[in-house]
Amino acid sequence: MRYVDAGYSFVLGILFLYGAHLLWRRKRLTRDVERVAAASAREEGE
Amino acid sequence: MSAPGSIVVPAVSERARRLERAIGIAALLGIVATVCLGLWVTPADQVQGDLVRLVYLHPGVAWVALYLAFGLAAVSSLLYLWPRTRSLFWDRLAAAAVEVGVVFNACTLISGSIWGRPTWGVWWAWDARLTSTAVLLVLFLGYLALRRVPAEPEVRAKRSAFVALFAAVDVPIVHFSVLWWRTLHQGATVLNPDLSPTIHGSMAWTLLLGFVSLTLVFVWMLLVRYRIGVLEDALAGRELDAALRERRAEGDPDGADTPADDQRTLAPLDQREGERVAVEAGSAVLREGAR
Repeated sequence: MRYVDAGYSFVLGILFLYGAHLLWRRKRLTRDVERVAAASAREEGE
Repeated sequence: MSAPGSIVVPAVSERARRLERAIGIAALLGIVATVCLGLWVTPADQVQGDLVRLVYLHPGVAWVALYLAFGLAAVSSLLYLWPRTRSLFWDRLAAAAVEVGVVFNACTLISGSIWGRPTWGVWWAWDARLTSTAVLLVLFLGYLALRRVPAEPEVRAKRSAFVALFAAVDVPIVHFSVLWWRTLHQGATVLNPDLSPTIHGSMAWTLLLGFVSLTLVFVWMLLVRYRIGVLEDALAGRELDAALRERRAEGDPDGADTPADDQRTLAPLDQREGERVAVEAGSAVLREGAR
């Protein structure tokens, strides 16, 4: 069973890590875009 | 028309958010059910014993990588190159599909290698199926590397589309490799030439559940990755504009002696008519600075 366990662990682990990485990237980019949008709005106001 | 330097990102509707969440939850539940059925409910095989349990994962990840991800990338690239359907939407979709596909392709090779060690006695063999799958991974890694080369969005999209179509030629080679050459790898279990599955009962249902679950995982990852592409493009355009304005201010603080040609070139920048204009303007400013 150890090969089976290793196969499941590797595949599911990689997919989980990649999924988490995608969510982190999207969150970071959304925050950056919101910050830039707020700065643009301030510039326009001045 | 938006103001200078403003950032335009299409909003995501609440309905789309709910759909994405539902797909994510369904994918997670499907994977949990597949693991439970695959590891503890389905019987061991007469020949392979417990090793057969890898069948509930390995063909599923291969199906997603080869047919869904790289197939979608090829179709999207073709639609981008077709003048009547040309849109950066297809380019972003292809990029998202390739990135997710590369992860699934790597999973295919790793799980196949782990299965091959106790079955064939080796971690790797230069077998037609294995080698063509590895070549596919390298080709699409090249696609992702090419996308990181700085270029105008249209130029990047066009050359990426050509590369994706070129790489996708390997997909049918991988599929038919077990028929065209004598390989260590077994033939197709479900999609064989007779369309007569060689797996039955609870094993067949668990295999099917694995395919559906991994497909849902792919769709969820594709949606998230596509949104990342939209956000990255928006930020890149904004940063380019900011850099150009900064360079313009450095080169001409009073705005008194700017050549008329550059004024004409830079005027549309303020109107945010596209990144192409911004890049042209940047080149003009740099040329002027070099003089």
